[in-house]
Amino acid sequence: MNAEQNKPTRREETAGLIEYSTENLVPFGPIHPALKEPEYFKLILEGERIVEVIPRIGYVHRGLEKAAEMRPWVQNMYMFERTCGICSFVHSLCYGQAVEGLTMFQVPRRAKYIRLIIAELERIHSHLLWVGLMGHWAGFETLFMWVWSDREIVLDLVEAISGNRVHKSMNAFCGVRRDMPEGMEDRIIERMKHMTDRAHYYRQIIDTEETMLARTENVGNKVDQETAQKLCAVGPMARYVGLRHDVRLTDPYAAYDEVPFDIVTRNEGDVRALLRLRLDEIVVSANMISYAVEHLPEGPIRVKIPPVIPAGEHSSHCEAPRGEIFYYVRSGGGRIPERVKSRQPTLANIPIALELLKGQTLADVPVVLTAIDPCFGCMDRMSFLDTDTNRQWTWSGEQLRLYGIKHYFPERFKK
Amino acid sequence: MFEQITKWARKRSPWVFHINASSCNGCDIELVASLTPRYDIERFGAVLVPSPRHADVLVVTGTVNAQTKDLLKRVYEQIPEPKLVIALGACAASGGVFKGCYNAGQGIQDVIPVNMFIPGCPPRPEAIMYGILKLLGEVK
Amino acid sequence: MSETLLARITTFAAESNTKAVPLRKGETLVEVDQANIKIFISHLLNDLALRHLATITGLDLGQNLGITYHFIQGQETIHVRTSVPKTNPAALSIVDLIPGAILYEMEIHDMFGVTFTGNPWINRKLLLPDDWPADLPPPLLKTSKPAEIRKRLGLETAQK
Repeated sequence: MNAEQNKPTRREETAGLIEYSTENLVPFGPIHPALKEPEYFKLILEGERIVEVIPRIGYVHRGLEKAAEMRPWVQNMYMFERTCGICSFVHSLCYGQAVEGLTMFQVPRRAKYIRLIIAELERIHSHLLWVGLMGHWAGFETLFMWVWSDREIVLDLVEAISGNRVHKSMNAFCGVRRDMPEGMEDRIIERMKHMTDRAHYYRQIIDTEETMLARTENVGNKVDQETAQKLCAVGPMARYVGLRHDVRLTDPYAAYDEVPFDIVTRNEGDVRALLRLRLDEIVVSANMISYAVEHLPEGPIRVKIPPVIPAGEHSSHCEAPRGEIFYYVRSGGGRIPERVKSRQPTLANIPIALELLKGQTLADVPVVLTAIDPCFGCMDRMSFLDTDTNRQWTWSGEQLRLYGIKHYFPERFKK
Repeated sequence: MFEQITKWARKRSPWVFHINASSCNGCDIELVASLTPRYDIERFGAVLVPSPRHADVLVVTGTVNAQTKDLLKRVYEQIPEPKLVIALGACAASGGVFKGCYNAGQGIQDVIPVNMFIPGCPPRPEAIMYGILKLLGEVK
Repeated sequence: MSETLLARITTFAAESNTKAVPLRKGETLVEVDQANIKIFISHLLNDLALRHLATITGLDLGQNLGITYHFIQGQETIHVRTSVPKTNPAALSIVDLIPGAILYEMEIHDMFGVTFTGNPWINRKLLLPDDWPADLPPPLLKTSKPAEIRKRLGLETAQK
């Protein structure tokens, strides 16, 4: 027991949008002082309903920004790529663009197109991964298996172009490291046609299949555009309430000013809207890739730049699959950066995730939290406090998932 | 005699508990991908279990950090003997690209004993399956 | 940066005794002191409709700690920088204006030791372990050394 218990007991508001309550706040401490209990989210319930969520996301914090201050500019590109295994290319792209902006060099047009192609392939793989996971968390395992099989199509293409399925290391300053291999164009176009068909098929499934409908229709606290904006939501979390926030549209980078596309927005405001949005975005991405491949300009893929970056500060942002990614760099004119700041999209979407969870039931937590497309491991451990009974417990992701499925489909667990 | 049967059973169907000790998720996703139809690790009897108490094999990804170090130790202790530990990926083996970071270890063998390292950043699903099966003596 | 937007920022900056420096096309830096920071940000939000805060970055500026707010609208970015002395790293929180800033301020608190008055979660850790040693300085200060932090966190390796 510590000093937290002596805090005031009334609910306090912050602009009416983020509330925190110190009523009956039993301190979450380790049972044994020597034993740490790192949960990634703490949820406070009143009976079955969530009243507050406390994010503790340091489990993956390694200290990259500090390490970046000790490594040459180019090494950082491949380190920041490994911030995330799902959107690794866009991390290196955003960092690359931030640094390129401090120099006087331009990125060749062919390289911009290749960057777009890889970025959109990454978007497709990320959205498919997410749709599969939604199936897994909702209790629709078949969807997970099918979607991840289709995901392999994209990974094959990525591997054929870059040599790796995950950390493609395609970016370099002012260009890309590898060119499009011979004969890839036709293969890509054919595979993207197939991908479009599959996306339409999955779109149909989520609109008609019982499991998905039960778990996603009208699930998730509804937020309006004003709230989403004040909570700094980015990417699909802004677009699914109708905000036209897409960096590819509002501040085009790479070849996004030359490759036409439609922004996807929705306004239903529930988890199902997010499923529809991301599946529609897969179709848009497939079309962009086909267009880019058909119009791929000739020319060099890279301009070599000196290892010393001129002094100054610059920021860049890109549309990662999960939302806006932001990098800020500061150079003192040397071979290593003075400061690199990296803001992942998931961090920007946590406030809105907390808002989506308010008032939801425990059984809906896995689906609602997955809806923001969080980092893969974010759901691995959660702890709960029920203020009605004062019961505290910790669950692994799997335990929470099974609880949700059992709640919705109890007949599956009958002997 | 009983020991021989359980040893044979364990080889035929390794129950795997996976823990992410501050990984970028690349290795975790390739591990999960190995469950999907193209690779289908389940045809070798390998199953991902929800609790360490049911596991034979612990697969760890990521370079351990301060927040996950004790958790990793505790999970390892919860796994009943005999147990095997696989360090999946470059980070679990040596810290990977994060060597030198202030909140990154240099491999999980500083925290728990390791039986098999599967290198890669990330290792392909085929490499993961090969590593798991080799550890169990299925592959000579 | 469109002429009107830059002109309006410059005018307001002059009125509030702050300076607006165009860095390059589409990017401006404005330095604002703590006394005026909330008025300035309110102005950006309400009068200039710069609604999107991308993030807040902490900086070690030697004697002071810099806090930079990055606002982006379309193709225009405004970096609003304020600073607090290292001897008294207390700043004003903007969560009453932009609730989504709550985690960004927590991150700067973890990494640089700046407290943001008015942020209800400022005493919680966001990225650092809960048992971060109280006498260990925040990691992103230039004087903090990763090797020392690793030792104090128990992450040193037995291998070469």
